[in-house]
Amino acid sequence: MIVRPRLSDHLVIGKYTGKVIIGVGMLMLIPLVTSIVFAEWDSAVDFIIAIAACLVFGFGLQAVCRTARDLNWSHGLVVASGSWFWATAFGALPHYLSGHAGSYLDTLFDVMSGYTTTGLYLLQDLDHISMGLNMWRHLLTYAGGQGIVVIALTFLFKGTAGAYKVYVGEGKDERLLPNVIQTARAIWLVSLTWLGIGTLFLGVRGMMLGQGPVRAFLHGLWVFMGAWSTGGFAPQSYNTFWFHDLGYEVIGIVIMIAGSFNFALHWAMWTGNRKEIRKNVETISFFITLSLTTMIATFFLAKANVYPDAMSLFRKVFYQLASGHTTTGFSTIYARAFVTQWGPIGLVATTVAMAIGASACSTGGGIKGIRMGIISKAFLQDIRRMISPESAVIMQKFHHIRDTWLSDDTVRAAMTVTIAYVTLYAVAALVGVLYGIPLEQAAFEAVSAASNTGLSCGVTQPFMPSVMKVTYIFAMWLGRLEFMSIFALIGYGMAIVRGK
Amino acid sequence: MKRLFTTILLAALFLLAAAPAFAAETIPVNDPSSGRLVEKPKVYNGKRVTFTGEAIGEVMVRGGYAWIHLNDDAYMERNVEEGAPLKGYNSGMAIWVPSDLTKQIDTYGDYKHEGSIVQIEGTFNAACKEHGGDMDIHADKLVVLRAGHPALDPIHPLKAVLAVVLVAAAGGLWWLERTTRTRIRPHRGV
Repeated sequence: MIVRPRLSDHLVIGKYTGKVIIGVGMLMLIPLVTSIVFAEWDSAVDFIIAIAACLVFGFGLQAVCRTARDLNWSHGLVVASGSWFWATAFGALPHYLSGHAGSYLDTLFDVMSGYTTTGLYLLQDLDHISMGLNMWRHLLTYAGGQGIVVIALTFLFKGTAGAYKVYVGEGKDERLLPNVIQTARAIWLVSLTWLGIGTLFLGVRGMMLGQGPVRAFLHGLWVFMGAWSTGGFAPQSYNTFWFHDLGYEVIGIVIMIAGSFNFALHWAMWTGNRKEIRKNVETISFFITLSLTTMIATFFLAKANVYPDAMSLFRKVFYQLASGHTTTGFSTIYARAFVTQWGPIGLVATTVAMAIGASACSTGGGIKGIRMGIISKAFLQDIRRMISPESAVIMQKFHHIRDTWLSDDTVRAAMTVTIAYVTLYAVAALVGVLYGIPLEQAAFEAVSAASNTGLSCGVTQPFMPSVMKVTYIFAMWLGRLEFMSIFALIGYGMAIVRGK
Repeated sequence: MKRLFTTILLAALFLLAAAPAFAAETIPVNDPSSGRLVEKPKVYNGKRVTFTGEAIGEVMVRGGYAWIHLNDDAYMERNVEEGAPLKGYNSGMAIWVPSDLTKQIDTYGDYKHEGSIVQIEGTFNAACKEHGGDMDIHADKLVVLRAGHPALDPIHPLKAVLAVVLVAAAGGLWWLERTTRTRIRPHRGV
């Protein structure tokens, strides 16, 4: 029997959703200040409207939903997924008011892409948007990478036990420290330290490349945000191809690989456990699959004679593949070049890298390295069982922060989520195929959206059918929150309608 | 009748006199366009092309040469802030050009500026050996067809009114939330 939620359930969900949306409004102060500093007055008014709208909604919900009750598990999941929905709706206001979006649906697409660290966009005439809006686009993806709920946890929640349930609902389940608020702050400590160092490196490199100091610093900051959050947004329509520099690409690769690592791994390194990076199942899995996909793409592109020498070939292939595998979405080739130069094998190798994706509890998306590691170990365990005597007990371990024995439950959980991802990829690709897009291109774009990568082979366009836009929005959302909390939100909706 | 004839004659003379100025204003359509170059890289690889577009962003000088980016999209003459209709993404080409030639370019396009419209001639590279496989054009000629200009973006009055109303509403709700914070509904079980 489905139990209809009571008034007290609605109140607690409303209260915490309101807090998160107030957090989104506070976050918009940064692009507002940016617009004011650069005297972009119309853009500044856009942000004032959007901030005020967030506060009206947030304070309004808090005024209506007064309760002392704490969150339970289902509340946490509904608050997480519901907050993402509302944060997208309100976060889209500056995009819409800028006049650079074809419709509100397009702005929802861009903001969902930002929060989920995907990097696909439908904004038009990107090269003429304001500094403030560019700051907001990149801040969205940086905040989304940490988790917008993590932000709210850090600044707005006061030590509630229910906070952990919202945190898990956002697709993160690592507790680095005993208290979840401390964990959220630890995530921020790591991220902000990287932000300072990464922006400095990219900014100085930008100046060496001929950029003025202000543009070099801002581009450095934004490219850092795009790389660390594995978001893939860049300030110009040319993406990171804009810089034409190996050094800038190398710094970018280091940041995006670091961003794709599990926060627990970062914390282990931070607290002195340096060996963890060599032993962790996710890093091992990542380097094996990245090497394999890079080798396949390199082999076939070398045969096709696309690039003039080995260095150019490796530079282009490794950058796009590392970007795809970390689910960043930065690119140093034109989107259509995946089709016109790389061809089907290049497309498929990149699609596989994107599908596998980054580490769990990171800013990245995709099936995740830990699941690939667990499934591979389970597969090896089964082979060993087959070739061993019947009486032999074959046990298998995997290492993630600590050694863990591989159990059937662990394997089942990894397989369930993997199958869910593969199904999502297939459904999103099918929608593209139904609109007449060739299978390999439809699959590339669908996997890119659902794994929150953001590489495009030219399918994503402002004038693509609305059904495809909606499909990709849901694919990005489901992929980022890893299904459970969105299913909980749907269940909550059904319980309101059909519950007793 | 005589007055009408004189008016028509004067108008014709004016148009004739102004013809060179109008001709200078006409921006040639690229053949091949950036879209065509990306779609058919093998066809144009190593060929000499003439390419026109809005200088965007900035010039990045690297020794005796510099990178500029020319957009030949729907916004090259007028951007969205100036009322251009939305017609898709930006598109353009990266140009590697002697840095001396770039001194003619007075404005690079961004939110506050419509960049100079520049025409270059050079060799198209589908995957440039000198630049790590980048798709680019190595130019040796550069002409500015039209100088850039500031793009004004005045505050829309309706937006200003909406901002005032929403800020007042947000302030009111914040005050309400603060003053009634202690009156929390007691929770009676799950």
